[in-house]
Amino acid sequence: MSRNNEGAAWTIMGYLLSGPLFWGGVGYGLDAWLGTGYFLASGLLLGMGAALYLVWLRFGR
Amino acid sequence: MRSMYSFLAEGDEFVPPSSKDFVLPPIFGDNPYTTKPIFLVFLSVIVLSIFFLMASRKAAIVPSKLQFAGESVYAYVRNELGRDIIGHEFMRFVPYLFSLFTFILVNNWFGIIPMLQFPTMSRISFAYVLGIITFAVFHYVGIRHHGIIKYMKDILFMPGVPKPVYILLTPIEVATYLIVRPLTISLRLFANMFAGHLLLMIFILGGEHLLEGAIGLKLVSPFAFAFGIALTFFEFLVQCLQAYIFTLLTALYIGGALADEH
Repeated sequence: MSRNNEGAAWTIMGYLLSGPLFWGGVGYGLDAWLGTGYFLASGLLLGMGAALYLVWLRFGR
Repeated sequence: MRSMYSFLAEGDEFVPPSSKDFVLPPIFGDNPYTTKPIFLVFLSVIVLSIFFLMASRKAAIVPSKLQFAGESVYAYVRNELGRDIIGHEFMRFVPYLFSLFTFILVNNWFGIIPMLQFPTMSRISFAYVLGIITFAVFHYVGIRHHGIIKYMKDILFMPGVPKPVYILLTPIEVATYLIVRPLTISLRLFANMFAGHLLLMIFILGGEHLLEGAIGLKLVSPFAFAFGIALTFFEFLVQCLQAYIFTLLTALYIGGALADEH
């Protein structure tokens, strides 16, 4: 059904936004705390990856 | 560049519209509660009440034009947004969806209605309040439908995943349901109305400023006005679309909260 696909599109957008947002935020916090520079980038990548995995779990399998 | 500008434009420098133009002074006295957006909200409620009371007062089998207009809007929200998305329990939510859609639509239209010309939702608080109401509604509905424990479990723990992975996924689910959803639904409405109003101000105030300039500028001023008018029509589409999307997302969230598995 097309309406369900429409719902999926918005949910996917939410995941792809909140994944990097949360884990990127954690990375940013770690960087600020430890004075390092690579946690933010790793956090963003991790968040994006986890969000994609979540999308696959919910809609792909 | 600077000297060329002053050669072309006699008179004052153009002051581009900015976010300051959205902060309007109070109409009565010295308090933050009697500003234009507040009155526009009340006006929208009055306009909507009168319109739908008139449209439904003498309901007939062969509808008048007014009744037809009112019923079309209602049928659209009920069928397209309620029934098709929420499913068999949709009638409970149609009053909310319908109020939401018409309220946002009229408040957005205020952005291009002559004399009013201010989209209420370009003040972010109004959009936030609507987002919070939708947020409360869909979580309440989900908790009532599933019970709080099952509802939380459905959100927090995706089935069929090895346990350590939850450390990675659960925060994302929580952020999506508690922060990203209410925030994006509000921001989308606010930002569209804000940007649209700013765009119209730039072209119309710019056209006016060009008209006051030297002869060469007077000649190009009609183009700015023409673009302003074209954008007004475009803005009308955006206003309808944003009212639709806000209601659509509300319906999708409610439908998602009611779904047996997600």
